Amino acid sequence: MILHGARAIYLREMLILRRKLIKTLLASAVSPALFLLAFGYGVGRGAQVGGVDYLVFLLPGLLTMSSMNQSYGIATEINISRFYFKIFEEFLLAPLQRWQIIVGETCYGITRGLIPVLIIAFYSLLAGVSLRFGPLFLLALLLHLAIFALLGFIAAMIVKSHSDQATINAFLITPMMFLSGTFFPVEQMPLPIRAVASIFPLTYSTQLIRATLTPGAEVSFTLFGVLTLILATLFFIARQIVARVEI
Amino acid sequence: MSCADPKTFNTPDEIEVRGLSRSFGKTVAVDRIDFQVGRGELFAFLGPNGAGKTTTINMLTGLLKPDAGEIHYHGQRFDPQRLTLKQLIGVVPQHNNLDRELTAAENLLIHGRLFGMWGAELQQRIDSCLKFADLTSKRDTPAGQLSGGMKRKLVIARALLHEPEILFLDEPTVGLDPHSRRKMWAFLRRINQQQRCTIFLTTHYIEEAETLADRVLIIDQARIIAGGTPEQLKQSTGNFVLDIYRADEIESEFFADRRAAMQRLEQLDTSVRIRETTLEDVFLQLTGKRIAP
Repeated sequence: MILHGARAIYLREMLILRRKLIKTLLASAVSPALFLLAFGYGVGRGAQVGGVDYLVFLLPGLLTMSSMNQSYGIATEINISRFYFKIFEEFLLAPLQRWQIIVGETCYGITRGLIPVLIIAFYSLLAGVSLRFGPLFLLALLLHLAIFALLGFIAAMIVKSHSDQATINAFLITPMMFLSGTFFPVEQMPLPIRAVASIFPLTYSTQLIRATLTPGAEVSFTLFGVLTLILATLFFIARQIVARVEI
Repeated sequence: MSCADPKTFNTPDEIEVRGLSRSFGKTVAVDRIDFQVGRGELFAFLGPNGAGKTTTINMLTGLLKPDAGEIHYHGQRFDPQRLTLKQLIGVVPQHNNLDRELTAAENLLIHGRLFGMWGAELQQRIDSCLKFADLTSKRDTPAGQLSGGMKRKLVIARALLHEPEILFLDEPTVGLDPHSRRKMWAFLRRINQQQRCTIFLTTHYIEEAETLADRVLIIDQARIIAGGTPEQLKQSTGNFVLDIYRADEIESEFFADRRAAMQRLEQLDTSVRIRETTLEDVFLQLTGKRIAP
């Protein structure tokens, strides 16, 4: 059976997700709704950014940010299954190439990341904002979700405890959320912030996803190349780490 | 239902370990240990907590990489990358690492899929393993809602699902009450006899090793200090013990037979007790300390 290990791990994660789907849906719906109310209808009402209405600018940003949080969120789950429930041992004991663990968990991260995408697509309908949900958007979204699922996987493999995980979130994920062009264009920021933003993958995926979603915007195929390169690099790093991992 | 096809291998030793070592920083957890386990044996690795038992089992199953030494299964050198050898092994860890949200059957299903099992064959194995572990009625119960003994049985059933030839159990009865522990011993014997699995278990319970094992290896402070059948180990120390109750301590003297112990008893004018030697006495004699403090 091809990729039997990856498929088994994906099945395991999906069976668990099925049991907590309502909780995950609610958690994915609340935070973007609050950001939308505060920034979209509070601070940014009537404003124009880059020639488009602020809501048209904000909704793709919220979509990338929320889906990043969900995809990257597999880090906490792997962490718990590794250090607390010790289920990760089952994967290490099974007769499968270890890269299949990466594939299974990444596919799960992608699936999780799709939940806020559906919610924000619904919000855009409610807000009367027309976005372009086409094949280029789907391709960009897939790259974006896979990148953050892989980042989550790597984080879960290199930490030694739950508190290490919180430290990574504080120093990597939270700054990325606010500095990568989710709420305002990166170009408006001072040079040092722009320099920091340029090392965050979220900056590139937000830019690309926003372009694919905004009607009339030009899509940069260079950004597809950048994201593919980031994805390949992260997969290589994950593979090196998981090959050495011990319980 | 059988774990192994006896025709598939010819070597006498199912497991052969040579010079196995592992350290964590400056702490030597396992220090150049050698041993062999024969096919179909129920083999106990006995030692106090922290002696190196779990580290050994983790190296034998590929969860830890040895610093030095070799592990062979049926004469083939074990390397966790050799997936066919991993297929031979079933592992029951010290903790019940079940998915608590998933049902008993789902836990087995995921294990089967991880081992490349599929479709009707997998469903049949799940039914069969649940039946073997007396858990058929708990098939659709989330694992988190099972009793401690049932969880333990489910972990063992899961390890047997892919029909391993060798079953590793790390402290299989730790945390169980005495009644459940005895039921677990009967269950393990059933696995060894009916499924023809070689069983390698670690324990710090003397009675467990004495009652269950064909052969026992005693480990202390990362080194193997003795090995043999429980009878051989006891014979090497003396089959009978005379506990002599002094004012502030109990002194033990060992004798090859009861007659010799009785002769010594007649020379004493203090409280004494004659009893048969246990593996705890053997350990005490070898190390000067008790296994279970």
